[in-house]
Amino acid sequence: MSHRYWSKSCLAALLLSASLGAHADVKIGALFPFSGGLALLGDESYRGAEIAVAERNAAGGVKGEPVTLIKADAVDAGQAVGTARRLVSNDNVTAVFGSYSSALSFAATQVTELAGVPYFELGAVSDPITDRGMKYVFRSNPTAKTFAKGTITAITDIIAPALKVDAKQLKIAIIHEDALYGTTIAGFQKQFAAEQGLNIVEVLPYSAKAVDLSSLILRLKGAQADVVLQTSYQNDTTLFFRQLREAGFAPKAVVGAGGGYSMQDTAQAVGAKNIDGVLDVDFPQFQTNEAGAPGIQAFADAYRKKYGMEPRSGHSLINYVGAKLFLEAMDQAKSLSADDIRAAVLKIDVPVGQTAAGIGAQFAENGQNQRAETTIMQWQDGKLMTVYPASAAVAKARFNPQP
Amino acid sequence: MEIFLQLVLNGLLLGGTLAIISIGLTLIFGIVRVVNFAHGEFLMIGLYAVYLLNHHLGLHPYAAILPVVLLLFACGAAMQRFVIQPLLNSPGHIQIFATVGVSIALMNGALLVFGADVLTVANPSGLGTGNISVGFLRAGTGQVLTFMVSLLLVAGLHWFLQSTFLGRAVRATAQNRNAAQLMGVNVKNIYVFAFGLGCACLGLAAGMIAPQYPVFPTVGSFFVLTAFVIVVLGGLGSVSGALLGSMLIGIVDSLAGFYIAPDLKEVVYFLIFLAILIFRPTGLLGAGRGSE
Repeated sequence: MSHRYWSKSCLAALLLSASLGAHADVKIGALFPFSGGLALLGDESYRGAEIAVAERNAAGGVKGEPVTLIKADAVDAGQAVGTARRLVSNDNVTAVFGSYSSALSFAATQVTELAGVPYFELGAVSDPITDRGMKYVFRSNPTAKTFAKGTITAITDIIAPALKVDAKQLKIAIIHEDALYGTTIAGFQKQFAAEQGLNIVEVLPYSAKAVDLSSLILRLKGAQADVVLQTSYQNDTTLFFRQLREAGFAPKAVVGAGGGYSMQDTAQAVGAKNIDGVLDVDFPQFQTNEAGAPGIQAFADAYRKKYGMEPRSGHSLINYVGAKLFLEAMDQAKSLSADDIRAAVLKIDVPVGQTAAGIGAQFAENGQNQRAETTIMQWQDGKLMTVYPASAAVAKARFNPQP
Repeated sequence: MEIFLQLVLNGLLLGGTLAIISIGLTLIFGIVRVVNFAHGEFLMIGLYAVYLLNHHLGLHPYAAILPVVLLLFACGAAMQRFVIQPLLNSPGHIQIFATVGVSIALMNGALLVFGADVLTVANPSGLGTGNISVGFLRAGTGQVLTFMVSLLLVAGLHWFLQSTFLGRAVRATAQNRNAAQLMGVNVKNIYVFAFGLGCACLGLAAGMIAPQYPVFPTVGSFFVLTAFVIVVLGGLGSVSGALLGSMLIGIVDSLAGFYIAPDLKEVVYFLIFLAILIFRPTGLLGAGRGSE
């Protein structure tokens, strides 16, 4: 009696799980650093993807099936490999979203590519990620090269006209932290500046762990630099501005690239008064004109509603836009096989200025979005205001003689 | 010439900041004979303590020095009593592993509690963030004050170690712990005291540098590597050696950053570090042969 009962219920359970398997959700891995030193912005990035998925599900999901995000934590390259393996072999995900940090992206994509699972990079900036001949790695966000280009555009299109001088007459100094991040961007800056015929007077790398930059500042002062381009983290940005003040040196303009320059707490540490007028090239942030970034306010509202706080940085926005693009491509694909998804991604055609982050989308053969541009912003009265491109601008760039 | 003098001044002022941190390290190194890899993390604790006192009670960082010094004395004494003392007779590398472990635990603990954000003290009075200029030379007032405090600290410690009974007991323990024990010195208590004293210096450093540097979980590692070089350069356990070493490294840092390249200044002072280890292993003002 009891024996028959058990075999019946086992059979029922089997049937049930088989039928569940047939109507399974579309599973997508979300590989970000959720713990460790990168956790803050890793989590901020994830929130963007999470909102995109929630929106998609409310609108009927992908191919009529709801999408489930499987959160996967990776703090370093080693863990990224392990986590990616788990996602593709245990969880059988259809695709993976990632990863904020370039180091994690490099490692995780090796695994997903071998397994033939599409990897959608939404936030890591290192150029070579999409230059390794991988078939199923796609990236929606701007890369380091675009950041560098943005800083040079800031000189030629904003600073030189505002100061009413020829850009070629400005003395430009490049300073950067000396690890991979700073070195990569500085390399591209030199290249673009040379193409524009700009005059670079100093290129000074320094350790991001430096506790004193006074000699570097004296070099800038000695070279009488008009414009300083800095690629840095938070701590060295703060240190640079403090010692700039102590040395009594005021370049006509300072342009930062990402990281150290976009965070509200950097501005706080530097002091709103001291950072006023400083330009910043980065992913679009929230003080952006709706006309050049349709949907940005709706996203900010959705964010506030879901998390009960203001967005902590523009990372959520760029991840949201990327995730939305890729979910749409998956929906349009003939099937959810990797090759069909690739075909659908390559067909995406969104003009610049038509997404909530202001970027457009068209993917090259290597998987990189060709229409991902950075935005140029300026710190004005303690707020990061978009000043370029004109369609997304909410304020005009202004230059006061710095204190 | 103007630039050269400004560079030397910058170097000396940086040396002042490094001196307070290195003196703490050299006391622990020279007396307890433990390489304290958690030294930077104690500085981090000090900076967070200053931040909390500033944030919640509105204390100026300089006013927070007294409570923070006491707190760090207690932290250091507890570290010696509960982590190092049980390992006192183990080989040196076991003690090093223990301090590295404490360092990693503290760093990640701070990450857990405070997150990776960069926090800054509020300083509406502006004391310690202004500038002064004499002729063509310019300097931050915070750095000048830190420099003067480092000189006072050296003078104070020198008086304490040379002229008080407790100071003599500390020196005796540093010279030969077995002989000191035979003379009736309670070596274990001296160790607890010395470790606490070394960490208390960090409390002083934290209060002095808080108006200038923001705090974040890995801030300690920014300072401590240089402090190790300074301590070896000046001679293990020598307070005045640490001061001299700090000034030298500060000036080397400043000059190399200008005349060579900002990213190569570490290379220059690590070369000095190697040269010292090879040619004068006891350091500039080290005790020389005969000490333990």
